[in-house]
Amino acid sequence: MKQGKFYRLQEGVQVRREKFGLLFYDYRGPRLYFVPSGDLIDDSFFTGRQTEQELIEAVTAGQPWNHRETKGRVVQILEMLEEKGLVHGQPVC
Amino acid sequence: MGNRYVDLGLSAPVNVTWEVTYTCNLSCIHCLSDSGRKGPQGLTTQECLRVIDILADQKVFQLSIGGGEPFTRPDFLDLMDYAHRRGIVTCISTNGTLITEEVAHRLDHPLVYVQVSLDGATPRSNDAIRGDGSFLKAVRALELLGRRNIGLSLNTVLTCLNFPELDQLSGLAASFGARLRVSRFRPSGRGKSTWSELNLSKQQMLDFSEWLNRHLEVSTGDSFFSVSSEERRSLGLNMCGACKLTCCISPLGEIYPCAFLQEPEFLAGKLPEDAFAPIWDKSPVFTSFRQLEVKSCESCQRFNLCHGGCPAVAYNTLRRLGLPDPECLANCITVKSMPPGRGDDHSYTPRPLHP
Repeated sequence: MKQGKFYRLQEGVQVRREKFGLLFYDYRGPRLYFVPSGDLIDDSFFTGRQTEQELIEAVTAGQPWNHRETKGRVVQILEMLEEKGLVHGQPVC
Repeated sequence: MGNRYVDLGLSAPVNVTWEVTYTCNLSCIHCLSDSGRKGPQGLTTQECLRVIDILADQKVFQLSIGGGEPFTRPDFLDLMDYAHRRGIVTCISTNGTLITEEVAHRLDHPLVYVQVSLDGATPRSNDAIRGDGSFLKAVRALELLGRRNIGLSLNTVLTCLNFPELDQLSGLAASFGARLRVSRFRPSGRGKSTWSELNLSKQQMLDFSEWLNRHLEVSTGDSFFSVSSEERRSLGLNMCGACKLTCCISPLGEIYPCAFLQEPEFLAGKLPEDAFAPIWDKSPVFTSFRQLEVKSCESCQRFNLCHGGCPAVAYNTLRRLGLPDPECLANCITVKSMPPGRGDDHSYTPRPLHP
């Protein structure tokens, strides 16, 4: 059974992958947000095909010693994105 | 804004300026692209749709549409509809003369911003630049658009003639629920021949910088980053975004660093026939432009605020890149013009790629 939350882009927000991480564009403004997330999160994550939990498991596969740190970083980034109104989390039903 | 991330090199532009036609029903004396009634034949509808697909596939977020007058293209609204279906935000620059109730209705879309050009707060001052009757038509367009839920700006190209009317222009914009956007006058297109007549005096440029600081609600599309102060720094870039965040496509599909550098020596490629990504990533013109440094400015106390200013103004007045923008605030006080060849080893004069 799936756990955690899906994340989707808010209306009018677009995202793409860049060398430093993720680049968000919010048409309200318009405004850019540079998120130095490195390779942690792919822009396709925000299509909602993967939960936060699945993302963390995928990123730390074969590296259990990284799990705690990676999880903390992913959660921090997603909370920040939600706080800025760029994404919204939806609990798995 | 995240300059250090921009300097790492983006995978594609954030914004592309696309001049969709040379045709215009006005003949403004400062027109950046020398547009007029009979422009050369531009891209066909099918070619334009391919351009939109190419840019959407690159994940370009925003198109700044200009010309010429975009609404002289019979297919223009269909092209915009297609761009929106591909998720691209469009910022349409228009003289307003062809905006009708029906057109305003079709523009009422969340991904649309419209800026109507007005270069004076009265018919007399505006029409001296943009032609007889253009003030009233632009105001009518602002009325029609202002009634709808459309992101709306009144765009003024700043000249010595309208500089005294900035407060009035700001009030006029507000009366339509619009924002005033002030754009920098640059010596390209017909602006080359009217530059000395219309450009601000150095004192006016200094005064304008102070005026901008008092009016943080006025947008500039980053075109005045070279005279911006610390107070406005958070509002936009403090460097030229050409080839880093943006580029320009001409009505013929030619790709240039920016709308004000549409010279053969800056031609980087052509859409839709050329692949866009290699042009953006590694064309000699774009690569050289990204490496451009204005070494002679680096010791200036304002360097972190402007990085040498607008390369297009420097190039069009001095015919060479790598030299300081002659109108940056420091130069407003000290430098009027520099003779060619006074740059250092980091200056760059591009060579034609398509002779």
